[in-house]
Amino acid sequence: MTLLTFIGMIVIPLVASPLVYLSGRLGTHETTLHRRSFLVRELALLAILLAWIPFVLSVQTFLTGGTQEFIIETMWLRVDGISLLAAAMILTLGTLVILFSGPYMAGEVGEEKYYAMLLTMIGLMIGLACAGDLFNLWVWFEGMAISSYLLVAFYREQAASLEAGMKYLVQSAIGSVMVLMGIALVLANAGTLDLPGIREAVSGSDVNRLAFLGAGALFVIGFGVKVAIVPLHTWLPDAHSQAPSGISAMLSGVVIEVGLIAMLRALSVLPGFSLSWGILFMAFGALNMLYGNLLALRQTVVKRMLAYSSLSHIGYILLGLGIALYSSMELGAQGAFFHLFNHMLMKGLAFLSVGALIFGLFLQNDLHASLKITDLAGTAQKYPWVALALSIAVLGLGGLPPLAGFMSKWQIFVAGFQTQNIWIIALMVFMALNSVLSLAYYAPLVNMMYRKSPSLQVLAGKQLSLAIVLPLVVMMFAVIILGFAPQLMDWVTIPAAKTLIAMFGK
Amino acid sequence: MNFSPLNIILIGIAGLLGVGFYGLLITRNLIKVVMMLQILIKAVVLALVFAGKISGNLGLGQSTAATVIVADTIVAVVGLALAVQVRRRFGTLDVPQISTLKG
Repeated sequence: MTLLTFIGMIVIPLVASPLVYLSGRLGTHETTLHRRSFLVRELALLAILLAWIPFVLSVQTFLTGGTQEFIIETMWLRVDGISLLAAAMILTLGTLVILFSGPYMAGEVGEEKYYAMLLTMIGLMIGLACAGDLFNLWVWFEGMAISSYLLVAFYREQAASLEAGMKYLVQSAIGSVMVLMGIALVLANAGTLDLPGIREAVSGSDVNRLAFLGAGALFVIGFGVKVAIVPLHTWLPDAHSQAPSGISAMLSGVVIEVGLIAMLRALSVLPGFSLSWGILFMAFGALNMLYGNLLALRQTVVKRMLAYSSLSHIGYILLGLGIALYSSMELGAQGAFFHLFNHMLMKGLAFLSVGALIFGLFLQNDLHASLKITDLAGTAQKYPWVALALSIAVLGLGGLPPLAGFMSKWQIFVAGFQTQNIWIIALMVFMALNSVLSLAYYAPLVNMMYRKSPSLQVLAGKQLSLAIVLPLVVMMFAVIILGFAPQLMDWVTIPAAKTLIAMFGK
Repeated sequence: MNFSPLNIILIGIAGLLGVGFYGLLITRNLIKVVMMLQILIKAVVLALVFAGKISGNLGLGQSTAATVIVADTIVAVVGLALAVQVRRRFGTLDVPQISTLKG
């Protein structure tokens, strides 16, 4: 019996969440407002730092070959390579976002709710990554969705963010209906919901393959809403651009990726369709890349542009996973998971640095406005670190060597060529072209920041505190270091890839 | 097609899904949108209990359905709360009038 340390990763944020909320509600005296806000912030940070301890312990157990499973009745949680990768992503970005939000959200109405919901979302996402049965998967998924609706619509006095929240809620709820119908189909035909049990039940010869194919289609559509597969993506640019910047980073950096992991888990048990899912993933990947890039090209608002670029990055990841499923090749999955992690770092960094600029230029001057690309002019003179961070982030996203984004795209690229399949090679060329195309909207940002002279608005911008700049600098160095030493992430991407191939194995 | 109880339940599920999706397509009122989502979920609850019944695992189907009801109530509450805020900011619940984000 091994110690179930991984439960701590889930429980600590979930227990801390109401405590953070209550601590923000204690006392109503106006003079204590500042102190209360400080308390809320520090408690949230403490909780997420505490959650790192069970994470490190779980990684230790995992790397020494131990397995951790937690089963009560039909509830089934366990740790495998994919859960660890997801937990690493969620905790990394979560910690940095909470640190960043300290000054960013200070004094906002409902600050305690922000941190409480953020911690809830973090705990639920880690739970989702560990879920080992279909129904549990849905419960964590729905919980994560609900906490993210509230965070997207956080600025409730602003019409646009309410609209984005409502749109997100309706589309996501329809997706979750689809997922549940799929679950009902699986339950009716397999008689159980835990993933190994379903796999066993469907391995018999007299299974109704059509029903499972239908369930798979429902899972693709249902989870696809959260993953933002192209025809189902319409909530994403609104939600990502209207949420507070820290939440944009969380949504783009981990929420859609965790949705993808949920989709993979749900699809993995359906029998013998790995090839079809592989082809489907590659097709959607190509569509996502092209569509995301083309729409990002015509955006004028920076956060909206970054949101569309998330679509194209989901495309690269889907492509890697598709190759892995189609040809059972670990390298493709490894590249896809590495890109998942890198996308979290780079997109998180991009959203946070845009958030830092919004904070310096608008929020501190009591303005609520969206940052246009033209507003970036000359920001490098006023905010050298933020401008550098944003440049590194977007160039990494564009896949410029030697940054992290290049390395993971390269891995997917190599995997694609190793399949020696003419269609996949054509797709790889298409991906490379898309990567170049994406520079057409990333490069003007860098140009704007470094080569234009600052506007009056930029000159009137306020100074940024260390707590805002520190997470940016940390992530910036991470992007550069991972670019030079991509093998640093092998300890988690290789087990995750092995898990995926084993999950979809015959 | 005979009208055994199981078939009637299947028709019920399909009917609720149909009503829900049709309603979502035609309605312009946010409160009604949330109501349609609820109708869809009712179809799902029925489907889960039904699936439990025909697979011989009634307990699992029912416990699943009960959890879905709880989770979905929260979605409805959040949705209605957002609708209240929308009414306050926009002065209307009409969906076309609150669609301002484009591109």
